[in-house]
Amino acid sequence: MVSKSGFRNVSIGSTLLWITVFVVVPYLFVLVFSFFQRDPEQIVAAVFTWQNYKDIFSPVFLVVCWNSLILALGTTVITLLVAYPFAFFLGRIPERIRRILLLLMIIPFWTSSLIRTYALIILFKANGIVNGLLLSLKLVDEPLAILYTQTSVFIGLVYTLLPFMILPIYSSIQKLDLRLIEAARDLGATSGHIFLRIVLPLTLPGIIAGSTMVFLPALGLFYIPDLLGGARSMLIGNFIKNQFLTTGNWPLGSAASVILTLIMCLFLYVYFLSSRKARTSGMGEMA
Amino acid sequence: MKKTLRYLYLACVYLFLYIPILILVIYSFNDSKYSTNWQGFTLSWYTQLIADGPLMEAFVNSLVIAFASSVSATILGTLGAFAFYRYRFPGRKVMYTFIYIVMMSPDIVMGISLLMFFIILGMETGALTLLLAHITFCLPFVVVTVFSRISGFDRNIIDVAKDLGATELQMFRHIMLPMLMPAIIAGWLLSFTLSLDDVVVSFFTTGPYFEILPLKIYSMVRLGIKPEINALSAVMFLLSLITVTVAHLVTKENR
Amino acid sequence: MKKAFLVFFFLILPTLVFAAKQEVFVFNWSEYVDPSVLKQFEKETGIRVRYSTYESNEAMFAKLKMVQKAGYDVVFPSTYFVDRMRRLGMFAPLDKSKLPNLKYINPALLNKSYDPNNAYSVPYMWGASAIGINSKYIDPKTVTSWNDLWNPKYRGKVLLMDDVRDVFGMALRSLGFSANDRDPNHIRKAYEKLKLLKPSVKVYNSDSPRQPFLNNEVTIGQIWGGEVYQANQENPNIKFIYPKEGAVFWIDNMAIPRTARNVANAHKFIDFLCRPDVAKKNCEFIGYATTNSKAQQMLDPKTRNHKAVYPDDATVKNGEFQNDVGDAILLYEKYWEMLKTQ
Repeated sequence: MVSKSGFRNVSIGSTLLWITVFVVVPYLFVLVFSFFQRDPEQIVAAVFTWQNYKDIFSPVFLVVCWNSLILALGTTVITLLVAYPFAFFLGRIPERIRRILLLLMIIPFWTSSLIRTYALIILFKANGIVNGLLLSLKLVDEPLAILYTQTSVFIGLVYTLLPFMILPIYSSIQKLDLRLIEAARDLGATSGHIFLRIVLPLTLPGIIAGSTMVFLPALGLFYIPDLLGGARSMLIGNFIKNQFLTTGNWPLGSAASVILTLIMCLFLYVYFLSSRKARTSGMGEMA
Repeated sequence: MKKTLRYLYLACVYLFLYIPILILVIYSFNDSKYSTNWQGFTLSWYTQLIADGPLMEAFVNSLVIAFASSVSATILGTLGAFAFYRYRFPGRKVMYTFIYIVMMSPDIVMGISLLMFFIILGMETGALTLLLAHITFCLPFVVVTVFSRISGFDRNIIDVAKDLGATELQMFRHIMLPMLMPAIIAGWLLSFTLSLDDVVVSFFTTGPYFEILPLKIYSMVRLGIKPEINALSAVMFLLSLITVTVAHLVTKENR
Repeated sequence: MKKAFLVFFFLILPTLVFAAKQEVFVFNWSEYVDPSVLKQFEKETGIRVRYSTYESNEAMFAKLKMVQKAGYDVVFPSTYFVDRMRRLGMFAPLDKSKLPNLKYINPALLNKSYDPNNAYSVPYMWGASAIGINSKYIDPKTVTSWNDLWNPKYRGKVLLMDDVRDVFGMALRSLGFSANDRDPNHIRKAYEKLKLLKPSVKVYNSDSPRQPFLNNEVTIGQIWGGEVYQANQENPNIKFIYPKEGAVFWIDNMAIPRTARNVANAHKFIDFLCRPDVAKKNCEFIGYATTNSKAQQMLDPKTRNHKAVYPDDATVKNGEFQNDVGDAILLYEKYWEMLKTQ
């Protein structure tokens, strides 16, 4: 009996304890710090203030926030538009080839994202490959400005995050019962109808899982704007990083982190609502 | 016709994914320090890479951390997933929700929260803090991966095992563990790669005494294009190619 | 499982062996030392150099505050940060008996108000932040003033340093104020003026500001002399122009943080960099003006006569050295933040 409850307690306790110590407590620190005052010498002074949140809701930060949201949203929409047909077509390919293609899909996902970002620099710079090609084909007269613009940050985000969209959508399409579609077709439904009424609702969990896995990282990946972006490419992630690593304004950085976490919770909530509705989860299939 | 279009579309996406990487690989053999034009074949960037002591050390450090954190996270996470499946305890639902939150929470928030935590505790940022941080962000992925497999199991198996007089530990060890193996391996592999690839959390949780590869690459890349980085990228790409293929073959056998 | 742990120990063992060696942890500006100098130091002393870099004084300061327990052994703050960090007690005093090569340092640069008697710091290099242009796209004769950066012709082609004091120093000079101005009104005016420059700015970079020039991403911008010197090895078209309103000059110094662990090795490292032959080699590689009188005499004429490395006396006189601005730095930082996030 002792060993039974022993094992039970260890198995429950280990994860519980770990999450409490290394997630709950540190997050509480962030929350507390976001209400403290900045002190240039001691980092923070334990004096309660709303000032950090007032600063956050100043026009300056709101612009950063707005730009980040737009960029992350744009990334999500584009990856979705690319990934959905891709996953769909992939599902229609004969099993043997599909296995290899799927493998090819996963490999970039496992390759260092930093290195893939670096590859884009080589492609995009003014005397780089893309511009060399465009110039030699006489498509442009002078090199296009791609590097250090919002466009290159955008392409960088899409490039890095695309596999995160494809995989959950693919797994939800795999679960689709093809007999449903056949039945609908027998009953005279058009392709458009079948897609809107059957396919889309059934693959919705995958879409939402994929969107969450693209949208949230897109807000925080500071190194992509750092490397590919220019003077106007500051995102929430960069803002937070700068507060901690350059300006030394921990309370303001904490407040921005709290806001970012709230945005995330909102998204997770939407995700849970919709996945409960669909009763299937695409997220657990990621691995 | 429709089929050709379909294949064309797939091909385009694959090209988008692979062209940048392939160009890196090609350039890693280019015999020119500055030029983007092809100047002849060379292996010198690779020999320079191997001769770069600090870089190699950072690589070893990264492997050590990835291995240690993925193994620890897998052990913890498997136990955790089992607990979520087998037992009812107060706070179970809250905890499971929390695990999803951790999995999805922006890396940067986790990074700075752990940084504050370590500083407040007076811990020196370095190998240990990095290890703790990596276990923390790997753990939820293992729990979710293993849990998604375990929840498909027939609960009768447990009852049968209990009827036959197995203790909880025996039941876990001899019945659950073998059945869960593919998911455990998948979770471990995912953790290993996540840890090896992480930039953001590591950025905040390691100190001057312990350098790891992604951060080293980050600082190299910020200083501009260098052919050694191309060579390094080619090697890393090859490594992930091998890992994924092996992982694919292993999990296929297990299924 | 046993096997797994065996592998683990084999992997961790080498790092433990490495850790037992003699080391010195150097935290320096990016691209601010000749890598072969570091190798030479390792060879001669057997001390391993662990080298990492930062892109601004502020980043170095924030990092030192962060790693309070274990830190770096040698850092390279600019004068105005030496003053600030000295007051905050962040440095360990230097043991001059361990720095015999100190005698080679130009006396004109020693015992300044930012560090009386050089109790905590030794000057390393000095240089200017002025205008860089790519003469392939811009006629060097047409650029004479900081105000030329505001020329709408260069929209989207301008580089600025990612450094609050450098950028504001430039704007303040262009308005005819001091680069060390503490007057809130003047700082605000500089900010208003920089705001007008914002649409022209392609990128902020002080990690390696020559890269955007070399990649043809920018054609004009604020840059450090040494960066132009290094860029010229690759592309001789990058030119360095001292504006008529005066360039902003700085001196960077070597210092030992209070949290340093390898204090003896740090002294050895600093003394090594003060050795004339080393200082000469270093100066010829990175292209900033050495503070070492002896090394200066030994320099290759190509380096000594390079205008980006050694400006003439009139240019230095016309410019201004950066100094501490006291609490006004908070105002600078606030405007800087607003400027960058716009």
